[in-house]
Amino acid sequence: MSRASGYGGGVAVRHESPMSGLDRRNLGPLQVFAQSISGAAPSAAMAAAPAVAAATAGGAVLWSFVAATVLALLIGVCVAQFTRRMAAAGSLYSLTAKGLGPVAAFAAGWALLIGYGLLAMAALVGAGTYVHDVLRRLGLSPGWGAVAGTVVVLGALATVLTVRGVRLSAKVVLVTEAVSISALLVVFGLLLARVAPELGFTPLTTDEGLGGVAGGVLPALGAFVGFEAAASFGVEARRPFQSVPRAVQWTAALCGVLYLIAAYTQVAGLSQLPGGLAGQPEPMSALAELEGLPWLPYVLDAGIAASFFACTMATSSALVRVLLSMGREGIVPRRLGTTHPRYRTPHVAILLVLPAVTLLPVVLLAAGVSTRELFVALLNIAVFGYLIAYLLVCAAAPVFLHRIGELTRGAVTASVVVAPVLLAVLVLFTATNADGPYPLAFTLLLAAGVAWYAWVRARRPRQLAGIGIYDETSASDLLGGRP
Amino acid sequence: MSPPAEPAPLSGRQPKAVRNALAVLEEVVAAGPGVTAKEISAALKLPPATTYRLLNLLVGEEYLVRLPDLRGFALGRRAGRLTVPVASGPPAAARAVVERLRQRVRWGVHLASYQSGRVELADADPDHPPSDGALLARYPHASALGKLLLAEQADWRAVVRELRPFTTATITEAGRLETELADVARTGLARQCGELYPGRGCLAVAIRDVVNGTLVAGLAVSGPTERVAEPNPELLALLREHAEQLAPLLA
Repeated sequence: MSRASGYGGGVAVRHESPMSGLDRRNLGPLQVFAQSISGAAPSAAMAAAPAVAAATAGGAVLWSFVAATVLALLIGVCVAQFTRRMAAAGSLYSLTAKGLGPVAAFAAGWALLIGYGLLAMAALVGAGTYVHDVLRRLGLSPGWGAVAGTVVVLGALATVLTVRGVRLSAKVVLVTEAVSISALLVVFGLLLARVAPELGFTPLTTDEGLGGVAGGVLPALGAFVGFEAAASFGVEARRPFQSVPRAVQWTAALCGVLYLIAAYTQVAGLSQLPGGLAGQPEPMSALAELEGLPWLPYVLDAGIAASFFACTMATSSALVRVLLSMGREGIVPRRLGTTHPRYRTPHVAILLVLPAVTLLPVVLLAAGVSTRELFVALLNIAVFGYLIAYLLVCAAAPVFLHRIGELTRGAVTASVVVAPVLLAVLVLFTATNADGPYPLAFTLLLAAGVAWYAWVRARRPRQLAGIGIYDETSASDLLGGRP
Repeated sequence: MSPPAEPAPLSGRQPKAVRNALAVLEEVVAAGPGVTAKEISAALKLPPATTYRLLNLLVGEEYLVRLPDLRGFALGRRAGRLTVPVASGPPAAARAVVERLRQRVRWGVHLASYQSGRVELADADPDHPPSDGALLARYPHASALGKLLLAEQADWRAVVRELRPFTTATITEAGRLETELADVARTGLARQCGELYPGRGCLAVAIRDVVNGTLVAGLAVSGPTERVAEPNPELLALLREHAEQLAPLLA
């Protein structure tokens, strides 16, 4: 990675990209898109999120999803300001660095590691839970062992696939997610055909008002987290400046549409039951029973388990690429920054992280934590991490544009609208999780982050200042190849 | 799994956008590498937002690249495709070296230049006419001279339009071509056996700039497939010797 002599206005161009070693410029647009979709795991959210949102939003749940979709699209606009201009593997961590500098980037990196790590764990546990449910419906009575077994098998599979090459894992993610969404669309299509003619647009009318809408935004936004996953495939995407921003934006839009369909179907279908959607612990099963389609839950469970597996693959792939970037920068041990000579994947990071992501939930399950509690806790803490990273990247976007002299009114507007809302959502989130294990978990994670930052600052100040590595233009990208 | 995305067809209803995009490209050429978006916007009197959008589009299409400071722009490799190759024959001294090789072997001897970023026949053997020059330029994957050029690229996919089959021997799988190009890069020798026309083959060696080692030209011999497939150590030595003599004459 030698520095070449000056080029043009005194800007040095390297002979080799600092991200060399990855399978550069080799992922098609559809495969990049699949990473973002899988990160958001819309299938699982379609089945569960409307009921969770309805618990706080009541009848305003549809409008909560509309608001969350707008928010996600605006976050996408902010992320796109970076991804249209730089191809990074470190996702929001590397992007934040270019706007707000190393301290904020460090915070975003820590939040993102927590978000990605815990979402990958939650998705594994989620897949285990739905496989467990299928077995139970078949008349078996598997204990937590079935969940733990599924977690181990899928975790091992994800490890092998992610090591064996980004193209292979992207194909698996694409196919799995496509099957899952198709299954869910069939299920919702069938239900919608039965419930829609009776109700028409009545689910859109609400008497909860703005307060209801706001209350539901947090759980609704939670259904979108992970949709930025494509941002860690900038180095590997064939046309990163097109496919990465598009993948993030289209995922926000597609998930928004899917969630609205899901929410409408569930609100409309369950409106006749006492308590409506909010009163149902298992809304989809209740709906299937109500409509006399007993086989539906099988398709649904299998589809959701598949979606969770794809989510594990996408989020852990993003996670290891953040670690790869940190390894190259010297923020974490440099070994984590190495890539496999043949498979061109960050194999050291994968072999360190994925077994941990797999085994930690198994240990907690073995210690007697219930699957449901574990899943909800992992997901909640993950969402918290994501929201912090989103807030930081949205705040960083206009600063970045100003720094490179390309600030526009639209970009400022997006940031000014979305950052305060995200901040409010974060405060609300902290307030609603003031009981149970959360205050302790948040304190521990915050303390760990601060301690890590203090260590890096004291021992590696130079590396700290160098945060924000990305696949910069190297001599071979220039016409004439001249350094 | 998915083919490279085809650029959306241009409806031709946005003449202003096309004109502006070309003006932006021209301005980057005129101002030189390192020019910033603000400077381009000011020079062309284009609204900033329009300029930024066009620049991002041109960077997305790889005609332009952002320099590592993320502010400045320069021409990307793809912009090289916009230049029409200038037909300037090799100097007389180089022709004499090629002619000397022709007298010593019974093969067709051809010299190709890569200065324009594609295969361009600079001195084709009049007694053994080679394949159609336009075909060589368009489908580098099917010729020895083309493979030399592809092996030199950071990303050969950016140069290859399609892996069109010409004969049953043509390499049409990206993976196989990748392996073969790695071999070419390692040995400095490219071989083609009946991949463009059945029964005809080619051997080619690189001619590199003596100062910075960049690929400037290729020297090839053509003949029947079975002769090309043989190891031919004497022929190779002769080919390499003449390539070395040509290097200082073509830089």
